[in-house]
Amino acid sequence: MAKKKVSWYKMDNASVMYSSLQKEEYSAIYRFSAVMNEKVQPEALQKAIDKVMPRFPGFRSRIRKGFFWYYFEPNEAPGPFLKKDVAEPCRPVRFNEDNNWLVRFYYYDRRISIEVFHAISDGSGALSFFRCLLAQYLRETGIEIADCDFIQNVEEKSTANEWEDAYSRYAVKRCKAQPLIKKAYQNTGTPENFYTFNVTMGFMPVDKLKAKAKSYGASITDYLCAVLIYVLMDKQKRERPIREKPVALSVPVNLRAYFPSETLRNFIITVQPWIDPTLGPYSFDEVVALVHHYMRIHCSPQEMRAAFSRNVKFQNSRFLKIIPRVLKNPVMSMSYKIKGTRPYSAIMTNPGAFKVPDDMKPHIEHMEVIQGQATVPRPHLATMSYGNIMEVTFSGTMKESELERDFFRFLIKEGIPVHIESNRQRPAASEGGK
Amino acid sequence: MSYCVNCGVELGDGLERCPLCGTLVINPNELEKETVLPFFPTRQESVKPVSKRELALLLTVMLASVSVCCGFLNLALKPKLAWSLYTFGAAAMLWIWFVVPLIWRKINIVVRVGADILAIGFYVLLIALTSDGLNWYLKLALPIIGSAAAIILLASWLMRDGRRSTLMSIVICLLSSGLMGFAAEMFIDRFVYGRWTPSWSLILLAVCVGLSIPLVIIRLNPSLREETRRRFHL
Repeated sequence: MAKKKVSWYKMDNASVMYSSLQKEEYSAIYRFSAVMNEKVQPEALQKAIDKVMPRFPGFRSRIRKGFFWYYFEPNEAPGPFLKKDVAEPCRPVRFNEDNNWLVRFYYYDRRISIEVFHAISDGSGALSFFRCLLAQYLRETGIEIADCDFIQNVEEKSTANEWEDAYSRYAVKRCKAQPLIKKAYQNTGTPENFYTFNVTMGFMPVDKLKAKAKSYGASITDYLCAVLIYVLMDKQKRERPIREKPVALSVPVNLRAYFPSETLRNFIITVQPWIDPTLGPYSFDEVVALVHHYMRIHCSPQEMRAAFSRNVKFQNSRFLKIIPRVLKNPVMSMSYKIKGTRPYSAIMTNPGAFKVPDDMKPHIEHMEVIQGQATVPRPHLATMSYGNIMEVTFSGTMKESELERDFFRFLIKEGIPVHIESNRQRPAASEGGK
Repeated sequence: MSYCVNCGVELGDGLERCPLCGTLVINPNELEKETVLPFFPTRQESVKPVSKRELALLLTVMLASVSVCCGFLNLALKPKLAWSLYTFGAAAMLWIWFVVPLIWRKINIVVRVGADILAIGFYVLLIALTSDGLNWYLKLALPIIGSAAAIILLASWLMRDGRRSTLMSIVICLLSSGLMGFAAEMFIDRFVYGRWTPSWSLILLAVCVGLSIPLVIIRLNPSLREETRRRFHL
């Protein structure tokens, strides 16, 4: 019998990095959840998964270890199967476990969650997938959801544009990236036991947050970044270091807004708003203004293209290509430590407002987002809005909750009501998932 | 619905303490709380550590095949000189160094260091047996390896789980080096000259102790510690 030919495709530069960083204790993973208005029907959800997965071949892939690089291959294994949700979200992905799936599905009471390994898609791509899954789930439960422009039709085949490597498409040969600060305030704390993952969510009304941000002349993202920088500066000051370090955030920017692409793979770059406290005290108004202008200046297509072109150039380097993967991984890991961890105090990501067609709106209560653990014990911030509910999540493997406390207290002082939920209080006796 | 009296945030129904500051939630209107479904699931699922058995097997096979090949070559080419025992011993030593920690993941650091030193001891014994040198092994190699093992084990025990500060770790390393040099010279002198006349090792030990004393004083005195950090931009 003739052996079935298995196609494969190369990784983009972000996928290469996330795959190389993969360790026993660490995986670049994130979670999106939709809290529905009705209890989840697992059978209908599994049917929806089975119908949606073939439409998104990038999510139906597995990572293989090549001699020089990792690569993707279609995953023909059964599944992925829906599971009852667990107390510790964003657990590490293992390339050779769980039938090699890089995406997971969970349900708990009214919550539907997906966890995605960052090598296969960024937040924007994963949200397109999730939106399609939710629409299909609602259809499976008997609710009429009309086709619309921004939800993929599961009956159609995926297009090549959806799985293009947009980085390579837009990369230029000559590039000079802007210098970053070398070492920022690290904000690390006591690590939890393996694998304990602390999640604290804050819910607030979007209209009040928007009005407050507008009063400073900033967007919601700018405002939340400024609050985070401000509380981090204050925290560093309380620790009384010999020399204060700059406080810098890593803020992922969706490149599709600047370089038109339909890709569902990774297409993001990070910008680094930062403030140097050694220059003198800053008022909160000044911090907001600095962050706002920094984002406007540095989110220029030219600067961002230069940054990702360098990464593409690095990936295509002839010298690097001939080095075996096992030798390349420690270099990539060190490179991430120098370029991706040390220059930042935290990651602040805002995938934006989750838009759904009018038919779906009455069935979803709110949306949640969780960033997986960092390579060091420190919390990261992720925000997402749906309707008038803005959800802000602090997640990490750090025992202390000082940063989230300061952050939410600051918002309360600013007059924004905050509702808190957290998994930090783990009951001794565990119960079955619902 | 309750609010944290410290933080001012509204707290979820299932929370008994504020997750931000740990303050107990007591709502006089809701002293008898209804059991509510927790906001987050409570089902625990352990994350198994990655199995390193495949890597351990691969390394074992590689080391074993090198030993077997060398054994055959030895028999075929120069059967009188048992040189392949050296490669066999080296393979066994490397196996203990690298494969044992892969199989036995939760090995105590003191046990691991002890096993590693023991492997060196056995390898040197093998060399001594094949080269007819049990005399130098018993009088020179064994005492040096034994004393080094005792000092390294003591240092590892003192520094276990990273419980010592950087300064104290440096002090422990310095004193260990000084003591090892001192012991090495003593055993070499006794073996070569029949008597012990301390010379270079005494200078080494004096330098190590001389460097350690100021470090201990800096460690014990907070103001000096701060000053050192400032001066050295630490």
